[in-house]
Amino acid sequence: MSAEPQIELVGIDKHYGSFHALKNIDLTIPKGAFVALVGPSGCGKSTLLRSLAGLETISGGTMKIAGEQMNGVPPRKRDVAMVFQSYALYPHMTVEQNLTYSLRLKRVPKAEAARAAREVAETTGLTPLLGRYPRELSGGQRQRVAMGRAIIRNPKAFLFDEPLSNLDAALRVHMRKEIRALHDRLGATSVYVTHDQIEAMTMADHVVVMRDGVIEQQGSPLELYDTPASKFVAGFIGSPAMNFVPGKVSADGQSVQPDLPGAGSVALGRSVGAGRSVLIGLRPEHLQVGGDGPAVLRLPVSAVESTGSMTYLTLGGDPEIMVVDTGRTSVKAGDTISVSIEPGNVHLFDPATEKAI
Amino acid sequence: MAKFFNSLRDGVGFDLILVGAAMVFLLALAGLPLVYNVLMSFQQVDMFTLGQLIRPFAGISNYVAVVQQPEFWMVTRNTLVFVVGSMAGQFVLGFALAVFFAQKFPGAATIRGLFLVSWVMPGLVVGAIWSWILAGDFGVLNSILRGLGIIQSNIFWKSDPSFSIWAVIIANIWLGLAFNMLLLSVGLAAIPRDLYEAAELDGANAWQRFWTITLPMMRSTIGAVLSLGLIGTLQQFDLFPALTEGGPANTSNVAGYWSWQLSFQLYDFAKGATVSVMMFVLVLFASILYVRSTRHEVRG
Amino acid sequence: MTRTYTPWALLAIALALAAVYLFPLYWMYVTSLKSGSEIFANPPSFWPAAPNANIYADVWARRTMSTFLWNSVIIASGVTAITVILGTGCAYVLARYRSAWIDLGLFAILMLQVLPASVMITPLFVGFNQIGLLNYPRTAVVLAAAAKAMPFFVVLVRATFMSVPRELEEAALVDGNSRVGAFFFIVLPLARNGILVCAILTFMSAFGEYIYSKSIIQSPLLQPASVGLSGFLGPNSSDWNAIMAYSAIYVTPILLVFVILQRRIVSGLTSGALK
Repeated sequence: MSAEPQIELVGIDKHYGSFHALKNIDLTIPKGAFVALVGPSGCGKSTLLRSLAGLETISGGTMKIAGEQMNGVPPRKRDVAMVFQSYALYPHMTVEQNLTYSLRLKRVPKAEAARAAREVAETTGLTPLLGRYPRELSGGQRQRVAMGRAIIRNPKAFLFDEPLSNLDAALRVHMRKEIRALHDRLGATSVYVTHDQIEAMTMADHVVVMRDGVIEQQGSPLELYDTPASKFVAGFIGSPAMNFVPGKVSADGQSVQPDLPGAGSVALGRSVGAGRSVLIGLRPEHLQVGGDGPAVLRLPVSAVESTGSMTYLTLGGDPEIMVVDTGRTSVKAGDTISVSIEPGNVHLFDPATEKAI
Repeated sequence: MAKFFNSLRDGVGFDLILVGAAMVFLLALAGLPLVYNVLMSFQQVDMFTLGQLIRPFAGISNYVAVVQQPEFWMVTRNTLVFVVGSMAGQFVLGFALAVFFAQKFPGAATIRGLFLVSWVMPGLVVGAIWSWILAGDFGVLNSILRGLGIIQSNIFWKSDPSFSIWAVIIANIWLGLAFNMLLLSVGLAAIPRDLYEAAELDGANAWQRFWTITLPMMRSTIGAVLSLGLIGTLQQFDLFPALTEGGPANTSNVAGYWSWQLSFQLYDFAKGATVSVMMFVLVLFASILYVRSTRHEVRG
Repeated sequence: MTRTYTPWALLAIALALAAVYLFPLYWMYVTSLKSGSEIFANPPSFWPAAPNANIYADVWARRTMSTFLWNSVIIASGVTAITVILGTGCAYVLARYRSAWIDLGLFAILMLQVLPASVMITPLFVGFNQIGLLNYPRTAVVLAAAAKAMPFFVVLVRATFMSVPRELEEAALVDGNSRVGAFFFIVLPLARNGILVCAILTFMSAFGEYIYSKSIIQSPLLQPASVGLSGFLGPNSSDWNAIMAYSAIYVTPILLVFVILQRRIVSGLTSGALK
């Protein structure tokens, strides 16, 4: 991540009337990086992407692409390519015409544009489809055309707006890898908007979690997983979502006691403010049924869902605790079981600010 | 200056030009005349002042004079009868046809489409055809009614004072029926089919389904159709010169035609303007109904 | 509903209803083919005893229909051109944005849509007289009728533009087009069919325009066919086969266009009229 910055955002603000959609966003994206913007709907991630494309005008801040200031520059002069959620293929043009549209606007000679189209079709597997119209293509093929239309321009940055959300699950998994491979091969700079944290985690070098128009946390995927900065990020990254249990730190500050009947205290392996109230975050996959350590929770099982490879156990009722157990289990609904956890896997959050402790 | 041209190509300037050109045109040829109309209704307008903008102020004397015209109340009553009669006929028949064509049978959409020819025909031609059909001595409607035994002697639709307004209403129902039917068909098609299936499982018969599902679900469509019908009826003009010319003795005259007669046959432009201002108030009322009933659809 | 003959019975009823509804049109054509004495037969004959189409040539010549229809074409073309050129851009902008200003614009358009021509004609006539436009009566009628036709056109075409996905235009902008280019090369081609249908509807209604022409155009050489028809029509008309022949010549082109384009016109109306 030491390459020169390709995209620099400083103090970006965006207002829609009285609605403050983006609040003082700072973000630097190095050349060649794959950055994912992720967050729940309405968090401002799409607005940020569309501002990069020039489709929305920002209300404040500075925006630079490849060192050039882009505030107020129309989309056509920004040299960025965008892949839309609906693909936005021009229905009245063939695949080839769709691919070469931007070249024709730049008055690239016909022969050259045709050659570029053939090359791109080769890399994206569209060669046999060049003469077809978008309505004659399957969802996956349309997706490839949308990709090809971006690739052919060799732009300063690729912008993706939830490009996989219209595909079925199997194809989505496949296209994830394909897009990432394409990014690596082209050495491109990509900004990828998604609401699906798995897409963000698997594809990006750098994940930006947004909420209500601000950046909650940014970092590499595993940084976000291992050291979430807030309860929101902790709950958003990881599936199934992290369990949160209220609790109290012991008098010596070395262990924490969940505020649930039958719960045992668990060592922290570090020292935090003695006696303070906390929210304890426990990832379902870190909780072990039985297990070697001392039991942290002892609760009745309310539901058992087995997928074959995994078993999801729901414990208690208020709050519900989710436990993921690999392999098969003999636990049945109604049983009362103990679960344990490694000290290093316990997350603590301030109940008032929801920031990590 | 460069910034200005850039805005035309890339920014809001383009939108402003597109919408501005149309708005200026409409303002000049619809907005201004409307204001001018109100102005004239308070002025003395005659052959000598016709070419001037500033004319002697007349106060409300034009309005007083219009109301004191012997035919004023007759015209008001006729306008009311014409509006209510036309709307009721168009709506009831249009709804019945819409429900009928909502059934599934081969060619339903095509045959329904044929009904719309009435809507694209020039009003004057429709008036001419109905004028012939409704003719007293040799009109085909009288022969058919006599053949069916409904009437004993010919009805002089256009020249009998008690029928003349109904002659125009009949022609107007024919003219507007299809458009009503089309809009109501759209509303009917938008009702989810499984609602009817659920009601049927709950034990509702066809009649009950109509009253408990169709009508409540159609409420906003019906509101829009009725207000559009009101507007369309108030706009109707061409049938009057073609059928009765408002006669005999104003028994089939309505506000719109009367206003035109005052201006263009009696050259009393002030009175013509006054009547049309009165009518505009009526239309304004209708359009408020229309906007209210389509407000959620406007944002569509 | 389960009996198999029900759809065919419904079809038969539908055809009967259509026959009753379209009888006036049939009657127009039949009457025009009858002789002068047959039209006054009692009871009337529902098929002419000796169909005679000579009256068409006669009416065409005697009533100078070529002049009248030519004027109708000129007026309708002018109205359609102004309406399409100004109305299309307006409809596009009204479809593209959502704000209080757009709502206000739409409201103004809806208000203008409801103004009866009979309310507008008096001030228009007096106003045109003052600025000298009455010396160019066909131009005056074109301007007045275009203002009357435009609101309806805008409302319908706006619905067409709303069905063109916004993302297509944005893709074109990112691909390197200006707003102007994206409008002409992406948005307009995709909305072409809807605009065409609305333009045809505008042409048809302007082709039958009566009240403005009657009030503004004095010279028979410049009057359209509707005014020509009113010249021998009144409460006491008796020349019925000639009137019907004139009417038939006048409306047959409109009816043909309508029947050919029926499906498109109906779907264009249904998608736009209530939205």
